Amino acid sequence: MNTRPSPERPLPRTIPEYLEQLRQALAGADKAMVQDALYDAEEYLRAELAANPGRPEADVIADVAGSYGAPEEVADIYRETEVTVNRALRPPQPPRGRSLAARFFGVAADPYTYGSLFYMLLALATGVFYFTWAVTGISLSGGLIILIIGVPLLLLFLMSVRLLSLVEGRIVEALLGVRMPRRPLYIQRDKPWLTRIGELFTDGRTWTAMAYMLAMLPLGTAYFSCIVTLLAVSLGLLLTPLASLFGWWDSPGFHLDGLYFALADSWAGALLAFAIGLLLLFATLHLARLVGRCHGWLAKHLLVRNPVV
Amino acid sequence: MVDIEAQLKKFQKELSAGTVSLVLLAVLARASEPLYGYLIAKRLEQVGGGVLSGKQSALYPVLRNLEGAGLLESHVEPSDAGPPRRCYRITGAGREVLAQWAAAWRATRDSVDSVLEGVSI
Repeated sequence: MNTRPSPERPLPRTIPEYLEQLRQALAGADKAMVQDALYDAEEYLRAELAANPGRPEADVIADVAGSYGAPEEVADIYRETEVTVNRALRPPQPPRGRSLAARFFGVAADPYTYGSLFYMLLALATGVFYFTWAVTGISLSGGLIILIIGVPLLLLFLMSVRLLSLVEGRIVEALLGVRMPRRPLYIQRDKPWLTRIGELFTDGRTWTAMAYMLAMLPLGTAYFSCIVTLLAVSLGLLLTPLASLFGWWDSPGFHLDGLYFALADSWAGALLAFAIGLLLLFATLHLARLVGRCHGWLAKHLLVRNPVV
Repeated sequence: MVDIEAQLKKFQKELSAGTVSLVLLAVLARASEPLYGYLIAKRLEQVGGGVLSGKQSALYPVLRNLEGAGLLESHVEPSDAGPPRRCYRITGAGREVLAQWAAAWRATRDSVDSVLEGVSI
């Protein structure tokens, strides 16, 4: 397959040909953007075709190259817009800290840090839901597959997996800042419905999306416990001077073989605890941002399909 | 040697960046019902001259951005002609922004025209 259609390439004569050329012209671009561009183009092409009943498809498509744009032109427009939009929507980059300390504490100024933090807390709820949905769907449709009722159930379940992966994509993009599709991917209307159902099964992304849903339970639990533990410990340490001030002697401390050493007993201990708490808090923010990036990468690779046209 | 053609292209691109958003908002503000991308494109095609006569594929990303900014809202409508269509409608915030943009546009247009009047080419 050539990645860049040559200029003397024949004009597309059918909608699938047009979309295929558009997809090739966009080769190498962000997968999520390709999905959106194909969605928009197909909406336009089909509307144009419906508005000109009786005209041959090839003529309509030839006109479209003038009004909507030839595949290469459309590809250029989308590439260009994506750059502008990214620049406009992207939160301002925190100024590059020169010193190590500035870079360490600068994490607090990055909006995606808090997005990731919130995502890690939310992941417990969404993870439990995805896992339950996937397991219920698999076992219900799998168990009933010997009866005729299992077949429609299985199809409904597979379609729900696609829908949920779009929803999760929106969450991931909003909180983690990874570009995900904004429009559903849909399959060719021209293809017979049996082929389209077949594509539900042969499309690898249906299965990777399901794997993602199953993996979200352990991942979500781990994210949630990690972040809650780390936040609680750092907040506890940060509050030690306050405990010292009010004389709460049972504040954070160490119990070792009957020996008890409370950090709030002395000012020195309290301030040390405060410093450690502060460092731990910022280290937690770094961890959250790192996990957010890794998870965004994972989501992108498991949930976004290579658009099939 | 100045590339006149390239200069024109660059100028059109910069001019269209804001005006297309303004025109899209205006079209949707005038419409009595939600419109989908194709209908908006066709309405613009009828009146479109200058920078508005560009490729219609450029409208879709702008619509999506306006929606992202909260100036438009959309819903998906099934259609028998093909894929479900996304229909856009202007929001209250969109109307307020449009009023301000329109005022800014008129002020700019009038002053640009008055300056251009004195130019003899």
